[in-house]
Amino acid sequence: MKIGKSILYSALFASAALGIAHAQEAEKQYRFVMVSHIGSNDPNMNWLTTSLKEFEAKYPDVKTEYISTNNYSVQEHVRLLEQAIATQPDGIAVPIVSSDAFEGPLRKAIEAGIPVVAFNIPDGRPDGERIPYLTYVGGDEFLTGKKLGEYALTKVEAGEIPKPTHVVCASHDSAHQGLKARCAGMKEVMEKAGAKFDELFIGAEPATARNTLQSFLQANPDTNYIFTVAGWSSPWAWGVANDMKLDPDVDDKGVTVLTVDEGPVSIEGVRAGHILATNSQGFWLQGYAPMEWLYWYKKFGYAPQQSILTGPIVINKDNADQWATQVRGVFGDKAYDEQNTW
Amino acid sequence: MKYLVRSQGFGATVGVIAMLAVFTVIDFSGWWTVQTLSNVTQFTAILALVALGQALVIMTKEIDLSVGSIYGLTGVAFITLEPSLGVPGSLIVALFIAAIAGFVQGTAVVKGELPSMIVTLGGLFAARGIIYVWTGGSVHNFSPDARTHALTRLLGGELFGIAAAIYWVGIISLLLSIMLWGTRFGNRLLATGGSRESAESRGVRTDRVKTAAFVLCSLLAGFAGILTLCNQPQTHVTLGENMELEAISAAVIGGCLLTGGRGSILGVILGALIVVSFRYELIALGAPSSWYITFVGAVLIVAVIFNQKLARFLGHSV
Repeated sequence: MKIGKSILYSALFASAALGIAHAQEAEKQYRFVMVSHIGSNDPNMNWLTTSLKEFEAKYPDVKTEYISTNNYSVQEHVRLLEQAIATQPDGIAVPIVSSDAFEGPLRKAIEAGIPVVAFNIPDGRPDGERIPYLTYVGGDEFLTGKKLGEYALTKVEAGEIPKPTHVVCASHDSAHQGLKARCAGMKEVMEKAGAKFDELFIGAEPATARNTLQSFLQANPDTNYIFTVAGWSSPWAWGVANDMKLDPDVDDKGVTVLTVDEGPVSIEGVRAGHILATNSQGFWLQGYAPMEWLYWYKKFGYAPQQSILTGPIVINKDNADQWATQVRGVFGDKAYDEQNTW
Repeated sequence: MKYLVRSQGFGATVGVIAMLAVFTVIDFSGWWTVQTLSNVTQFTAILALVALGQALVIMTKEIDLSVGSIYGLTGVAFITLEPSLGVPGSLIVALFIAAIAGFVQGTAVVKGELPSMIVTLGGLFAARGIIYVWTGGSVHNFSPDARTHALTRLLGGELFGIAAAIYWVGIISLLLSIMLWGTRFGNRLLATGGSRESAESRGVRTDRVKTAAFVLCSLLAGFAGILTLCNQPQTHVTLGENMELEAISAAVIGGCLLTGGRGSILGVILGALIVVSFRYELIALGAPSSWYITFVGAVLIVAVIFNQKLARFLGHSV
């Protein structure tokens, strides 16, 4: 009987302990940190912060944090990442702006049991060599340049825009491997089409960027395509070409301007006939999906078996109105109009 | 000629002559075109305005690292406040913001006896942070009405095919020259940088002089930002980023000694011309645009050595 009582008490104690543990597990709050290079100097940040808010509303047991650099500095980004790792979050989402610079801190974090999801920019190295993050969620930067270039060539064939003779890829950050990949994608297509291709570092300061681009166009008068790898720099490129009377609007003569992103400035540039095309790389998903994968991994052990591509999709005059409606729905009319810098 | 050699801007004058000679030999048809000269001089005018303010501060033996951010903040304030205040109202308020920023920093330096490098480094970050918070990442444009406003055209338009900024830098450099070499304030400003103790022993309120120099510096940087936007209203929150380094370079290449007390208005303008021309011509010659920074660094070091040797040759203690 005594033995029976002991077994009963032990069983009750064990079930109580298990129940408490289970309850604790069920109530566990997770903290995921997104360490981004898209800061308050970049309107695209709104996509990510908006999607994180929606994620938190759907998963109340998760607290998300968005931290970012406000300048285009890999060193600053690495410093933020190290600070985030030191707080021991339950998961990290980070763009791999520089594989070399991020390798050390991210491997340490992963070894310490912090799952990492790469977003926006993957580690471009082969599988065995790359940082062992859970997965990558984002666009394919090379494809972004390539698809936009291919779209331009279809318009050349249709006689709507001039044949490319010399293409310049204007970049604001010379160390950003995602931007380099965009240029590389465009380069592949344009060189195959017989055009000369140059990559030009214009910097992020508007007046300096204009001065730099104008110097280039002046010295290379055969340049008839400008590809800006940030949406917000497309009005500068258009403005410089317009000041130089190079006819930068979309027609069958003069200079043709292409850009990236689904922000208001890019979409309105297309709608106004200043920009031939831009792209969407699914920014909203790039905020939401990494958090969801981190959550499912922590909670249930799920890990995706391959990268999750959220783009690119070409935005042109045929679908720009739809995109404008969609983006207005996410940002609101006031923010959309304020971000239209044309 | 003797006056020119004794001038602190002599190094920059020699530099510009050498630079133009080299550009003429290697790229005559590319350099001597109306478009090239128009682009170079317009941007030189903007940088020169920022550098002139910087030169005033350097002449008082201080430095202002916040000019790029003040340039940006004033420009952003001008464009953001325009819908509610109109062009004249937003111009006044934006310049007032610049003046306040200069006054606060100048006061912190002289009253707090703090190094200007640290105070203005704080100013650099603070002003840039305000831009980010205020704009939320994007700066909207002037309305079509604002673009055609008479004041906008006066500040950002053209006269006889020459950009307004060039006239403005001409007028302001003339006024600054008169102030520096023809007024008691100018004399006191140079005396404050040359020897503070000596100036104070002669009754100069060096704290007031330095504060005034910081206010003028911020006002000139802010005015340059406004001129830029009146000419090109499409902008971004990065407006003025890293401009402080170019402004300091232009001032130093132009003959300002970091030991204070000496400088040249003409030299600063020529220093800005050298900085801008190098960027332009390097790109025109097909060099990667990031090489420009290396060249500016090299020119800066050569200029410092030359200006110091010149000052010693003329019997000044530096």
